[in-house]
Amino acid sequence: MTATSRETAPATASRETAPAVSVRGLSRNFGPVRALDDVSFDVPAGEVTALLGENGAGKSTLLKILAGLQPPSDGGVTVFGEEVASFDPSTMLGRHGVAIVPQELSLLPDRSVAENVLSGVEPGSRWFPSRRRMLERTAELLEALDLRLDPAAPVRSLDLATQQLVVVARSVARGCRVLILDEPTAMLTPAEAERLFALMARLKADGTTMLYVSHRMPEVFRLADRIEVLRDGTHVASWRSDETTPDQAVAAMVGRELGQLTRRAERPARPAGEPALRVRELSGRRHTDVSFDLRPGEILGVAGLPDSGRVEMLHNIFGGERGTGGTVELLGRPYERRDPIASVERRLAFVPGERRAQGLLTTMSVGENVGALMTKPLSRLGLVRRRALDRRAAEQARRLRVKTATMSQPITSLSGGNQQKAVLGRWLAIDPGVLILDEPTRGVDVGAKAEIYEQLFELAEKGLAILCSSSDLPELLTLTDRIAVMSEGRLVGTVEAAEATEESVMALATGAVPAA
Amino acid sequence: MTSTTAPAREFSLPLRRLLHARESGVFAALVLLFLLGTVLSPSFAQSDNLLSVGQQIAQIGIMAVGATFVILNGEIDLSVGSTYALSAISTGMLISDGWSWPLAMGAGLAVGAMAGLLNGLAVVVLGVPSFIVTLGTLSVFRGVALLISDGAPISLSSSQPGVAEFNLLGQGRLFGLIPMQFVFFVAVAAVGVVLLSRSRFGFNTYAVGGNQEAARLVGVNVKQVKLTAFVLSGFAAGLAGVLGLSFLSYVQGVTGQGLELTVISAVIIGGAALFGGSGTMWGTVIGVAFIGLLQNILNINGISSFWQTVVTGLVIVAAVAADTWQRRRKTRA
Repeated sequence: MTATSRETAPATASRETAPAVSVRGLSRNFGPVRALDDVSFDVPAGEVTALLGENGAGKSTLLKILAGLQPPSDGGVTVFGEEVASFDPSTMLGRHGVAIVPQELSLLPDRSVAENVLSGVEPGSRWFPSRRRMLERTAELLEALDLRLDPAAPVRSLDLATQQLVVVARSVARGCRVLILDEPTAMLTPAEAERLFALMARLKADGTTMLYVSHRMPEVFRLADRIEVLRDGTHVASWRSDETTPDQAVAAMVGRELGQLTRRAERPARPAGEPALRVRELSGRRHTDVSFDLRPGEILGVAGLPDSGRVEMLHNIFGGERGTGGTVELLGRPYERRDPIASVERRLAFVPGERRAQGLLTTMSVGENVGALMTKPLSRLGLVRRRALDRRAAEQARRLRVKTATMSQPITSLSGGNQQKAVLGRWLAIDPGVLILDEPTRGVDVGAKAEIYEQLFELAEKGLAILCSSSDLPELLTLTDRIAVMSEGRLVGTVEAAEATEESVMALATGAVPAA
Repeated sequence: MTSTTAPAREFSLPLRRLLHARESGVFAALVLLFLLGTVLSPSFAQSDNLLSVGQQIAQIGIMAVGATFVILNGEIDLSVGSTYALSAISTGMLISDGWSWPLAMGAGLAVGAMAGLLNGLAVVVLGVPSFIVTLGTLSVFRGVALLISDGAPISLSSSQPGVAEFNLLGQGRLFGLIPMQFVFFVAVAAVGVVLLSRSRFGFNTYAVGGNQEAARLVGVNVKQVKLTAFVLSGFAAGLAGVLGLSFLSYVQGVTGQGLELTVISAVIIGGAALFGGSGTMWGTVIGVAFIGLLQNILNINGISSFWQTVVTGLVIVAAVAADTWQRRRKTRA
């Protein structure tokens, strides 16, 4: 791979020509783990720089240092030529003008847009800010950013994408000159992402420097002027974005050429037999009259915008939440009073989309997370045979290639991809007849993603029926046989994955074409 | 996070795990406290004194074992002091009414378990936060104890048949040496250790306390787990109350006020997280021993009981602060 020449800024550089952010020899240790190792690169002023790397590559650590959330162990950072003396959020923002838009937005949900945007810089006296002037100031600011938002609306009433725009506006209100965006599009629909991109273009025109983290190559190549790649805590590549290609960038991230992922459609196995899951006129929260069949050995995708009701529909089938009508037939038998306990008994597996909130037993070990569904078969008189459990969990983890030093370390110490493999592996213990997945690779790096796909292909070939919902359309096109598209709570069409394109699925999902 | 070694090694042995676990800090503090006690007073390390400490911590310890299940679930039981009194009063009144002591004791334990069941039902069925529920029942159970006893103290007269035997539970010594109450504590703690670290219920307790939603979605019966924890807590408080009655032959409606705070303190000093999901039964046992030794040391060195209250309070805050600091260091550098 091409490691590039890194021009060091001359010591005499004036403020005007200095890079917006210059990272010099930055290292950060967590106990014995070196999360960042002697990383140096520049973020040129007024440009958009993309920071790429797999999970665990050190991106988050680097961002935290730049946002002043933690100090480096070694090395330093200059912002517009000025050395950062103290790594804390108020210095980074107040003195250096570096702001971050984190993945978990930190807004006050019950306060208005204006109060959020201007919190800390309220006009008027410090204890009694003027409400009228706050609304005026916010309106002006939103206007300048081309955002059509009511300054008086409570933040809770806005969708996630809009809340994110509010966070950007808040950074601007505080005079940020360097804006860091941490995977800003991970939770957005394409249309919402476009609004964000428009705002980024606006900020760029105003001279704001941006450092942007994303896993999505098309976006990166569209937005970024420069690309910096981290791998295993070191800086491995740096290009102008027109000097490289997505393949080259991905290769730098994973440290090897990644073969094109095999598409499911190219695999020989074909589903057959009576449906393993038959859903008829299923209704519940945010979904109405959904009907479909899923056969053994088939991978059925579910596409739709985040508010299309697809996630609620999955929870209804699994029994995580109550539905209001319709029927489900599971492995040839009606399944009426659905709840997770009964689903486990009837071999219906569910890997939820919110891994941290719904998937991980957060205070437990890797082994306990993998073994969570083995405790019943492996207990006698209510006592778990711990040794057998440990052994079986270790076998399962090995089979799914969960990368972990020991089985007894906390599940939260693993990377997203390995956590996901652990959660998937947990369910294989019940020998599922139907597997439901939501966002199977959200927050999962490229390498682990390929492994999870491979695993799902194998399971389908052994006859497992898989229902997989995702907001990542390329993922559904790669992974599934058919894609059921939902829009506003209804199933509006089903397309063969081999013939579908992102555009054709999106057209259905957004209601751009009438339901088939 | 940069580990690329695929083989998943075997689990470490429970003993090694124990040494690496969070309670290792408290255990070290316990050892230091012991050494301090030995240095300060020659009578401290004598077996008589230590056995009496064992006697003194038994009731708190039994209740703390029950409370550990509740706290690991991410819940709290503030009503244990009142349950203690209610069970003791029930048993005392029945014995006074001429019931045979095993029956009366069984009834007292059942009252404790019922109290826990009521707490648990209010939490899992009505969905009221356990802090509120048990704050309420703290008052309700105390009120009932006062009502049924009409506010009058109950004294068991040793001339009454069976009372002498009943008193042996709290006053007797196994082999003429080890206080029976301590034996009860050891037995309860042993059951607690096995339940928590070996049983499915224990496994599910950690799952629910760490992430209730994730536990529910892997088919853990969250309500059942919580209900069981509250019943165990009520039962343990009842047992402690009965032993207290047996020890003193005396109980009144206001007995055991404020016990809940000592019990919760012991569990927290033992390293359990107040928001649930992490902590161990060994930790609780160490926490109980720590509180017992601390009070004993202050006692035999003639320090006023007012100071004991102050010191115990400071120790709780210090223990949690040390734990927080230790964890932050572990995750940061």
